[in-house]
Amino acid sequence: MSAQPSIIDWDALIRGSRIHGRLYRDPEVFEREFVAIWHKVWVYVGHTSEVPKAGDYVRRQIGRQPVIMLRGDDDRVRVFFNRCRHRGNLVCHRDRGNGRELRCPYHGWTYANTGGLLAPTFEEGYDDKLRREDFGLTEVPRLGAYRGLMFASLSASGISLDEHLGQVKEYIDLFMDVSPTGEAELCTGIQKLRYNGNWKFLPENSLEGDYHGPFLHRIAFELHSRRTGLDLSSLYQNDVPDVIRSLPGGHMVEDYRGASVAAPARKPTPARLAYVEMMEGRYGKEKAAALLGTTPPLVYVFPNLIYVMTHIRRVQPVAVDATYVYYHPLLLKGAPPEINEARLREHEFGFGPGGLISPDDIEIMERNQVGVNAQGDDWQFIGRGLHRDRILPDGGSTGYTMDENHLRGMWQHYAQVMKQHAA
Amino acid sequence: MPRERGHDSAMGDALVERFLYREARLMDTHLYDEWLALWTQDARYWVPCNSDDVDPSREVSIIYDDYERLQQRIQRLKSGTVLAQDPTPRMRRIVSNIEIETVDADHVRVGSNFLLAVAREREQQLWAGHSIHGLRRIGDELRMHHKKVLLINVDQEMPLLQFLI
Repeated sequence: MSAQPSIIDWDALIRGSRIHGRLYRDPEVFEREFVAIWHKVWVYVGHTSEVPKAGDYVRRQIGRQPVIMLRGDDDRVRVFFNRCRHRGNLVCHRDRGNGRELRCPYHGWTYANTGGLLAPTFEEGYDDKLRREDFGLTEVPRLGAYRGLMFASLSASGISLDEHLGQVKEYIDLFMDVSPTGEAELCTGIQKLRYNGNWKFLPENSLEGDYHGPFLHRIAFELHSRRTGLDLSSLYQNDVPDVIRSLPGGHMVEDYRGASVAAPARKPTPARLAYVEMMEGRYGKEKAAALLGTTPPLVYVFPNLIYVMTHIRRVQPVAVDATYVYYHPLLLKGAPPEINEARLREHEFGFGPGGLISPDDIEIMERNQVGVNAQGDDWQFIGRGLHRDRILPDGGSTGYTMDENHLRGMWQHYAQVMKQHAA
Repeated sequence: MPRERGHDSAMGDALVERFLYREARLMDTHLYDEWLALWTQDARYWVPCNSDDVDPSREVSIIYDDYERLQQRIQRLKSGTVLAQDPTPRMRRIVSNIEIETVDADHVRVGSNFLLAVAREREQQLWAGHSIHGLRRIGDELRMHHKKVLLINVDQEMPLLQFLI
């Protein structure tokens, strides 16, 4: 059964603007991704605001491995493998909860919410060489945070989180800074969705709304602009340079600072005025105006975090042709309640299983998965803007609003990561 | 005075039952305008997320429509551009376990269960849940002003919900 794994020539499958269909449908590629990506690189786990109180935990998965993100009595947020040190049972089986102690339901081994083993049960049956300190919950090898976003790596070695994020931090700042306290709140519930398609369709689709927008979302954008006064179609009506960015590390950005979004022509509400005042108090008039005068960027942090308009998306691979997507609405800590409530309503308008925008993307991804089974010409073409890419000194690039240079960058990075762990 | 669950309704149980069956049929057969006409202007169409009781001012729902949003939802469904509705899925639901919770002269709150089968390209889905309707008597007819749908899979990864539930 343990056949010698075949060699995959990644450079033959990823050729600049041509991406081979096998990358979306081959179970062997999918298996390799666990080794090279999910169980290796920095993966987004959750935001500290999801576990606000001591003892709060949420269950998550890194690749195939169950973990919990848990805030201890010492106020530190840790990520543990969700596995009892005794016989390997799940310690937490609920999606979220709170506990001063975590008790394994199987044989009752009990852990402090800081991870240490409090006591095995019927301890007299163990010889005195069993040291409790050897049997605490196992922490993930590496854990890091940026603005409350917790990332874990299941590999003990590798580049630091800071290096991994690199420039994308600047763009994370842009969507976090629309909070008048600089802090996000992601303890707002999670819309959970499943689609029958490869996980890589999601970042590809999420970060190119301006190209597919006029085809997939025309009606939804019209309805949105009628409701909010904010005309999203202005984004794709102006194909301007320096919007689409590919960053080193496989990250992607749609940076709207140079693109004009027609501002809502409506009179601001008292809550909006209060919010603007708070923003000016924190950042000064000029920076506040810059932050509020545009739409925050769309951001993809390789491999599984996406920020779009109202929320963070977490991507979870299930099978080569099945993916879970978690939509976490991002609220602004300290902002007037009306502002946050409006963000929630805007989110529900567009996103989640019952939304009016992203479901069309999801349906496309399912059809896309079927489409790549046709192997007559087994290549995707992501060549828009190829002739005019502005390559930056760090290896990233910028392109026009509807260009595909960021997809080329992501795939280049993907090839690199997969090759590194070919052995 | 609201009456206890299970009592004969001043409004007539048969009238309430007919309303629920008709609403189900309009949803199943994609008669969107007719369905929208069942609503009052102070509509609230609510499908909570993660649990049955969430605080909509702080927590996300799957659907939390007021009348304007409801009109937009219907407008989009009617536009023929909803990809998950192309081709239009065939749907049928069973509405059962109807229990009137409270009733007075011109208002009734009624709970019911549903089991909905949806046949669409690539798959057949089964949706199940409990609906709570807030109905108001207007003239000889009933209208909905509130509908809350408690899906059993509210906290699980679900497929698209791009039809009326």
